[in-house]
Amino acid sequence: MRVLIANRGEIAVRVIRACREMGLPTVAVYSDCDRAARHVMEADRAEHIGPDEAVRSYLNFSAILDAARRSDADAVHPGYGFLSENAAFARACVDAGLTFIGPAPGAIELMGSKTEARRAAMRAGVPVVPGTEAALGPDTAEEELTAIAADIGYPLMVKAVAGGGGKGMRVVEDPGGLRGAIRTARSEAGSAFGDTAVYLERLLPRPRHVEIQLLGDSHGTVIPFVERECSIQRRHQKVVEESPSLAVSPALRARMAAAAAAVARAVGYTNAGTIEFLLDEDGSFYFLEMNTRLQVEHPVTEMVTGVDLVQWQIRIARGERLDLEPEQALTPRGHAIECRLYAEDPDENFMPSPGLIRGLRPAGGPGVRDDGGVSAGYRVPVFYDSLIAKLVTWGNARDEAIARMGRALREYQVLGIRTTIPFFLWLMQEPDYLAGRYDTTYLDRILAGRQGPFVEVAEEDAALAALAAALDVYFRAAGAGGARAVNGPRPLWTQIGRREALRG
Amino acid sequence: MTFEVEVEGRIRMIVIEHGDNPSSFRVQIDGEPGVVDAVRAGDKSLSIFGRVTFLRNGGPEKGTLRIGAAVQVTAGPAPGEGIVHLNGRTIRAVINGRRRRAAADEGAHGPGDVVVAAPMPGRIVRVLVAPGDQVTARQGLVVVEAMKMENELRAPRAGRVKEVSVVPGASVEAGCVLAVIE
Repeated sequence: MRVLIANRGEIAVRVIRACREMGLPTVAVYSDCDRAARHVMEADRAEHIGPDEAVRSYLNFSAILDAARRSDADAVHPGYGFLSENAAFARACVDAGLTFIGPAPGAIELMGSKTEARRAAMRAGVPVVPGTEAALGPDTAEEELTAIAADIGYPLMVKAVAGGGGKGMRVVEDPGGLRGAIRTARSEAGSAFGDTAVYLERLLPRPRHVEIQLLGDSHGTVIPFVERECSIQRRHQKVVEESPSLAVSPALRARMAAAAAAVARAVGYTNAGTIEFLLDEDGSFYFLEMNTRLQVEHPVTEMVTGVDLVQWQIRIARGERLDLEPEQALTPRGHAIECRLYAEDPDENFMPSPGLIRGLRPAGGPGVRDDGGVSAGYRVPVFYDSLIAKLVTWGNARDEAIARMGRALREYQVLGIRTTIPFFLWLMQEPDYLAGRYDTTYLDRILAGRQGPFVEVAEEDAALAALAAALDVYFRAAGAGGARAVNGPRPLWTQIGRREALRG
Repeated sequence: MTFEVEVEGRIRMIVIEHGDNPSSFRVQIDGEPGVVDAVRAGDKSLSIFGRVTFLRNGGPEKGTLRIGAAVQVTAGPAPGEGIVHLNGRTIRAVINGRRRRAAADEGAHGPGDVVVAAPMPGRIVRVLVAPGDQVTARQGLVVVEAMKMENELRAPRAGRVKEVSVVPGASVEAGCVLAVIE
């Protein structure tokens, strides 16, 4: 089976690794700016699929299907993002005689609609956050809206039916803000998903985001896994995930896993998927949505269960029986944490920091896993999201995993661009994080109240940095035959910069 | 060789001279002497050991810098700017910056002008101010979209908008001037 990976970056590299371990040949696809990307270099072969803009390359069905034909691929792995939750793409793969490594198109379609997914959960007897059962009609009368909202209760959320990734979501504190929130959510949803439908949902004030990974095969077996705790979010985007959750007891785990499996069975779900729940302070949990694909944060589950989820995706797609021990999937061995390393400058309000990676040395050593997607010499483009690597650590207990994360973050070197490493160094020392006292509102709250750089530079470090910079220029001058530079060194980094600029 | 190195907003005078063996150097930080052993390990890495005295916050209190470090140094985005990486920290160092700034200030813009440039390539989504507007420090000027995110670029200080150099929809390169505050 030759597998084409319809994705890029770290997840494409992750899938290539699984294929290689299974002895399967791989095909990468790439846009113009990704010719020298790591996933292209690591695959057995690669096909060009179009220009930089994702809509014309990584989101272009026909270019990807052509690439599959040209390269004689038998199967397509969509990764996450891009076309991974596009039912029409899954169907097009099947129609072209390719194995789609993911759920059936019908399941993607059903669970892709948040309102349909809520109904499916209710049918399976799983509680959902109180809210409207269907999308609000485009011309629902004012009085009716007010009545529906009052029924749900404030504060509430306006959410896009086709939503995801925090887009098309608005919090409404009181009746006065309802109309405006619906209008902006509709307009955001329209431009992000091409669908302006929205619905209302009660807002839990301090929920945790806890999710259950599961696998289902085509023979009716569904196996739920130990939960992932994903409450550390910045503007509704997960930045740190861990497993298990400090807020979940074995008894609660069993109930959440059973609920997740019931939803999956109710829709005849196959392959890898994740049921997201909101966990309230009182221990009650509510179905939020189902992601019908591999998740970014799947490695933490792999680290505490020893199960390779990507290999299982492939085996399930080939029709194999899911013969895992359910106990192994549900019983965490130790603790795992993932930090998403983004090409962003945390000290400049997380401004994107694309550009040339001049040097790269990932962390290693005991209990460390680097799911990287870039290499030295690669220019991080502006066209796609800014995730460059996922750093995962494992420990026998949570404090060991945290200590390893701190050590690994110090070891990890990315030269040339800014990354979120300093932010994680700070977070890994925050008392509330260390104590596990957090919910989905924690990070935005604490970030709003703090100022200054995430990692303070001590006087000693500043002096050492000045000395090191001077030594570097001194060595470069000496290497360039240097006496010329004595007592008035020409700025060598300028020359180096200029030389590179000329090379273009 | 003498260097003026600006780190964390403070300039330090660094002197480096050859020592008794090829990897040994006599150094001074702000006139305080020390000896270090330093070698280059590849294009970007330095290994430094040693002991140097330095003035805390410019003096008079002295500190001792016991060095045992692997340090990475790469060229920064601006001329004369280096990026020093140590222990997970990224520290900007500017060599002989005063001289360069003096030269730059004679350039196109007046002495009190602040140029707001694009920190990364992207597309202009919105322009929030017009020439002549009074702005406060940290007021949003321009929204640039890059890497699937909208980023608001803010005024580094209060002043009057002298010039807006971009329009919505325009593509910009890193370093491209977006606006000038006077």
